[in-house]
Amino acid sequence: MDCTSCNTTPTRPDRPHTFFAHAQDTCPECATPVEARVVLRDGRVVHLLRCAACGPQEREVSADAAAYVRSFLARGVVPDGLVGDHLFKHTTSTCPGCLALVTAQVVIRKGQVFFLKDCARCGPSEALVSEDASYYVKAYSFARAGTEPLMFRNTVEHGCPTDCGTCDDHEQHTCLPIVEVTDHCNLECPICIVDNQYSNHMAPATFATIVDGLVEAEGTCESLALSGGEPTSHPDILGLLDIANRPEIGRVVLITNGIRLGKDRAFAQALKDRGVYVGLQLDGFTADVHTRIRGRDLVAEKTAALAALAELDIPTQLIFVATRGVNDHQIGQVVELFLSGPHFLSLNFQPVAYTGHGGGTFDHDPNNRLTIPGVIRRIDEQTAGKVNYTDFFPLPCSHPQCVSLTYLLRLDDGTSIPFARFVDFEKHATLLRSSATLPATAEVEDALIDVIHDVFARQDEIPRGTEILAALRRSLDEMFPKQPLSPREAFRVSERQSKSIFLHHYMDRHDFDLERLRKCCHHYPQIDGRIMPACGFNMFHRGAAKGPGTPRAKFGRAPFSLPVVT
Amino acid sequence: MSMLCEGRVALVTGGSRGLGRAICLALAREGAIVAFNYLKADADADATVALIEAAGGRASAHKVSVLDKPGLAELVRSLDRGHGKIDILVNNAGYGQVVPLALMEESDWDEMLDTHVKGAFLTTQAVLRIMVRERFGRVINVSSLAGIKMMQAPVHYATAKAALKGFTESLAKEVGRYGITVNCVAPGILDEGVSDHLPPARREEYLRHCALRRVGRLDEAADMIAFLASDRASYTNGATLVVDGAV
Repeated sequence: MDCTSCNTTPTRPDRPHTFFAHAQDTCPECATPVEARVVLRDGRVVHLLRCAACGPQEREVSADAAAYVRSFLARGVVPDGLVGDHLFKHTTSTCPGCLALVTAQVVIRKGQVFFLKDCARCGPSEALVSEDASYYVKAYSFARAGTEPLMFRNTVEHGCPTDCGTCDDHEQHTCLPIVEVTDHCNLECPICIVDNQYSNHMAPATFATIVDGLVEAEGTCESLALSGGEPTSHPDILGLLDIANRPEIGRVVLITNGIRLGKDRAFAQALKDRGVYVGLQLDGFTADVHTRIRGRDLVAEKTAALAALAELDIPTQLIFVATRGVNDHQIGQVVELFLSGPHFLSLNFQPVAYTGHGGGTFDHDPNNRLTIPGVIRRIDEQTAGKVNYTDFFPLPCSHPQCVSLTYLLRLDDGTSIPFARFVDFEKHATLLRSSATLPATAEVEDALIDVIHDVFARQDEIPRGTEILAALRRSLDEMFPKQPLSPREAFRVSERQSKSIFLHHYMDRHDFDLERLRKCCHHYPQIDGRIMPACGFNMFHRGAAKGPGTPRAKFGRAPFSLPVVT
Repeated sequence: MSMLCEGRVALVTGGSRGLGRAICLALAREGAIVAFNYLKADADADATVALIEAAGGRASAHKVSVLDKPGLAELVRSLDRGHGKIDILVNNAGYGQVVPLALMEESDWDEMLDTHVKGAFLTTQAVLRIMVRERFGRVINVSSLAGIKMMQAPVHYATAKAALKGFTESLAKEVGRYGITVNCVAPGILDEGVSDHLPPARREEYLRHCALRRVGRLDEAADMIAFLASDRASYTNGATLVVDGAV
């Protein structure tokens, strides 16, 4: 089934199955232990295996997919009176010491989920992967089939994650491509997940080649993000944005720390003139938070950047890296800020991943960290009921453990109400497949019609029911005025009808889950045409999973190096 | 033989007399609990209720205009509170007026269109909430042969009745997904009701062209409506059924 950007490319095919999970199995030919992809196909459950000796195999494990899923979810129910760990399932993770792929027991302990691993070289380790076992288990019920790109860039030779790029065993196309256009930066963030070498700015021709390759693989993209390093430090960043601004790309997003935005009004105006969206890193509001996460006090710079974005009404995504004990007390404040401005379209919380040049060495306890449910809990606690725990649902576009989100409808009085208060998302999972805006597919239109009628029928029961109906009516009037809008105008108007709050938990050496990587849809396109799933790239292919100087895992390949601008 | 509408709850607009009364009687005879609204005729409304009750049925009369949105909302709420649902809606409220376009006042036009078309819209919108919630409904709009065929009839009346055909077809498409059917009945000349004021020449012309050589009876149109309201008509949707003896 389609996700975010798939709607505009009818030729991009659905996967022939729904990827569900990974499970332990053995090769039907030689009985060698092999981890299987569990897929739901035509109402049945099949294990897809790749045996190093015997090649691809498959084995049907159930003729009733619905019963299998029910049974799987039931395994997540901890028996009454159980003392100790409850085994839920197995997966493949990494040894935090040597990055070797190791089997992990996924266990439930006191309402939380942990990976238990035992590396032959480094010994046992544990890692917290979810602060809410109920959320974690239920998330699997949101699994939906992915979509294939128009072309895979790699074939399966050694298996995941070595063949990243993507190979034809990958279960989702590229929903959110991110191109790192420079490895220069004007900050040295203690939490940085990349590995800046200060070696080059990407040449425009190189960038154009990457975008061409992306369009060739995907057809169209809902968005394309330019990142770094700090992309505004690129000497020709506006030229790169112009290259990205082409009909196949719906939205060009500049991911930035905002320092230049606040200082350089002409630059901010140039972004506005180009219709560029800004993804602003904003991890807090006080000097101590900025210092611990970004290396120095950025209060003034962030304030200036926010002022420029508001004044120029630039569509903005706020990105908040949430770190336990550092800035988790300011989560509610960023939600309040987000809700206060019509130009804020989305808010992206990223529970910190301890990987990369900074993050790999950032002080942390892998058993006491923030995960998606922990951030949602803090949103609930710190927003006085504006956004609640139950307003969030796993996003089936990616692996359901990777992203959680809620949409908020803008009411006529300027306040917002989460869609979950009036939409049954378990019934209308179609509406959760998008990453920022709802695509104009027949399936989504169908779901929206049902939502409208449902609110219409239950308007006396739903809190603020009549206001919700009025807002839906206003949205229709704005999106379909008497004088028709151009497609671009319609896009701009429609995306302001609602806001979205996302939580995306990138993985690190502690909580890495090969199963999640399998369906990653946030990808880094490379110069050689490969399109690298984000966490596989960060963990294995950058070579900085434990900080600078991490030996590159033998199963990871270096990305194609960027040419130096001379 | 089982009754067509047993256990159903029906709301009929303009149910105090004429075709509206006949519809109420037919639905009640077929087992429905009938509620109807009316505008002025208290005595006629009481008589309709009495006729139904005398036959062993259940009925209630509600004095509220089809143009009174809050009043309709309250009527629907009270029926929902009392019965837990509304299964059947018959948009029947209307009237005839003999006037050529040359003499037609703007107010004539507005009142005719408002009563027939806006009234159907407001009543349907109020009731539809319940039907969508229940995932079941039967909406029947009472049009006229004058809205279907080219014939000599007051222009505003023909316009209003033609509009109900479009209303029917569009709404049928919109709400069919919730198990709600929307149909239209277009009677020819009947022996009572709005045909009472028909000039004799028009009536004679009608009879010359009608295969059955007579005007229809109110109960013949009402029975068709009761049938459309029943489960027997479960696959009939968006249709306009002409009840005219073949003109």
